[in-house]
Amino acid sequence: MGRGGSRAAPAAAMPPWHALPDEVWEHAFSFLPAASDRGAAAGACRSWLRAERRSRRRLSVANCYAASPQDAVERFPAVRAAEVKGKPHFADFGLVPPAWGAAAAPWVAAAADGWPLLEELSFKRMVVTDECLEMIAASFRNFQVLRLVSCEGFSTAGLAAIAAGCRNLRELDLQENEIEDCSIHWLSLFPESFTSLVTLNFSCLEGDVNINVLERLVTRCRNLKTLKLNNSIPLDKLASLLHKAPQIVELGTGRFSADYHPNLFEKLEAAFAGDGLAVSVSHLHKFHLNIETVNFQVMDLIEDHGLAVVASSCNKLQELRVFPSDPFDAAGQVSLTERGLVDVSASCPMLESVLYFCRRMTNEALIAIAKNRPNFTCFRLCIIEPHTPDYITHQPLDAGFSAIVESCKGLTRLSVSGLLTDHVFKSIGAHADRLEMLSIAFAGNSDLGLHYILSGCKSLKKLEIRDCPFGDKPLLANAAKLETMRSLWMSSCSLTLGACRQLARKMPRLSVEVMNDPERACPLDSLADETLIDKLYVYRTIAGPRSDTPACVQIV
Amino acid sequence: MAECKGGGDRSPSSSMDSSTHPVLSTTSSGCRPARRDLSIDLHLGLSLSSASSLLAPDSKSIPSKPRNQVPLDWPPIKPFLKRTLTASARRRRTLFVKVYMEGVPIGRKLDLLLLDGYDSLLAKLCHMFKTSITYADVMEYHRRVPHEKAAYVLTYEDQDGDWMMVGDVPWEYVSSLPDKREETEDCKNG
Repeated sequence: MGRGGSRAAPAAAMPPWHALPDEVWEHAFSFLPAASDRGAAAGACRSWLRAERRSRRRLSVANCYAASPQDAVERFPAVRAAEVKGKPHFADFGLVPPAWGAAAAPWVAAAADGWPLLEELSFKRMVVTDECLEMIAASFRNFQVLRLVSCEGFSTAGLAAIAAGCRNLRELDLQENEIEDCSIHWLSLFPESFTSLVTLNFSCLEGDVNINVLERLVTRCRNLKTLKLNNSIPLDKLASLLHKAPQIVELGTGRFSADYHPNLFEKLEAAFAGDGLAVSVSHLHKFHLNIETVNFQVMDLIEDHGLAVVASSCNKLQELRVFPSDPFDAAGQVSLTERGLVDVSASCPMLESVLYFCRRMTNEALIAIAKNRPNFTCFRLCIIEPHTPDYITHQPLDAGFSAIVESCKGLTRLSVSGLLTDHVFKSIGAHADRLEMLSIAFAGNSDLGLHYILSGCKSLKKLEIRDCPFGDKPLLANAAKLETMRSLWMSSCSLTLGACRQLARKMPRLSVEVMNDPERACPLDSLADETLIDKLYVYRTIAGPRSDTPACVQIV
Repeated sequence: MAECKGGGDRSPSSSMDSSTHPVLSTTSSGCRPARRDLSIDLHLGLSLSSASSLLAPDSKSIPSKPRNQVPLDWPPIKPFLKRTLTASARRRRTLFVKVYMEGVPIGRKLDLLLLDGYDSLLAKLCHMFKTSITYADVMEYHRRVPHEKAAYVLTYEDQDGDWMMVGDVPWEYVSSLPDKREETEDCKNG
């Protein structure tokens, strides 16, 4: 209950649970894995706040500028696993200016100081330097898990420090990072006595790796379950590698297509004695799809007929991603259409996450997909040419996407594309109650579109918009909504500097960042309210304005 | 035999490959998927109406923005992924060969790398030319089917200019060495 007590009540009348020591609450809270639940508990009363924060083991900072590293360490002194995310998602596509920020160094320094028992560290879209990695290797004696996703700023020298220094490392998971190759044989720096590895993923590394060193490593790490290689390992060596390491359950070959190689899959299957080898490569011409395939990433060269095969053989498929082999090929020689997605949605009952690049779509297909798969949690459709309508009726794809949000009640992530009017945003605003992340590009016709989203979408956390005709009015009218969200990105829309100034004045707990063309780096103060801005990034923060902005980014 | 290969618009075969293995040929230029090449080659000489509709942009497609109006950071693909995809797409080698049927001046083309052995090649060619074809062990064939009508035999011209029966060289060699040659189907007396 925890109602702030009336002091008049005598001690004897207080319920006994008030007297329970913190340790009891800490134990109780250990059964609340979700951070939001723990946060809610902490808000109930002072004693719960104290008990919760002192026993919090896992901390996720979804925006590195929402709070300072010192705040985090002070508030949660017992953290063993921390995850910090930096740049906005559109940084992945080059929309965020270089040197924007998101340095991991302050976080590593604060952690080294305040969390000596830290075991896990995960950075996403942050700048991680070799010095950071060296500090990690030197500061945490029981460090076990390092996960770097879409980061940059480090090289194989940093990896060498991790390999040499982290004696108890269980996971080294490098996903899609930009890693500089210093020709250091970092893999050979794992000592001979080192055997604790469970997950090793270096698929994003562009340099060569010594196969003999790798073989010795995987042989002595008897608990190694997941191995994701880069494309420097010749495919024909894979079978012999697997023979030496039968404990591997998940294998990534670091490729989208296997160069023509006779009997590759037969050899791999023969080498692998276990069940459920999930080989993440898709052969262009032959599909050796394991019935257990849960996650399938492939290029559009698979075409509709290939996806039909996937549909009929992989009924445990949960996530599908289809990428364009030639994104700039306007003529579209590849026969991948809406048909493929319809087939997969019809036959794979567990499919809940889709990322699909294609060149044409119809409302009818989307309506069918929505009907087939109401269990979608993540639906990202990218029709490559902007403003593409339904190719049969030439109508906007409003009806199709509306069907998706109406049918998929559990949808948490959505990316829309194609020709869309404000109408679709009305549906999304009204029906997408659980939607947390929405990506919009080249869509809508007026301010109304943005207004529908910001005034609806109860659970919206991240909104990213580019090249849409949305202006100041809906932004200012829904300013309060922005504080309930993690962040908003808008680029190439119709926003003025004056609106940003107003927003910043009205909402002191929001940080309003304006980014203009780096060439035009004149101070914002001198510009008039009517000036159109190029990029806006707004996020809630308790840390106040950050001080590490480059010249082209200004906080209003 | 020679008449099939005649024709001034044949692309020059300029391979200087010093490999000692006679191999089937390709007339594509290097590693890029030559899909555009394929459609033009197949349809040259056919009735003009179908050729023109294939060479023109697909009329069903939405009139697209000229390349320079669509931003460079679209479609939304991570740079690492973009590099991997273009590398993979480029790495997909093709080994196109021209196949002529004796007596028919217009040939067909196929990508050997899309096949996994001589059997697939034969099956594909039988389908393309609507006839029965044999290779390699002709004697064997005739022993098995003594009264069968003369079938077509698959042959190729090697780098020495000799006409050879397809099928003796292991398939792995065939698909791994790019060289420029041609195949012809030939009639053999039964």
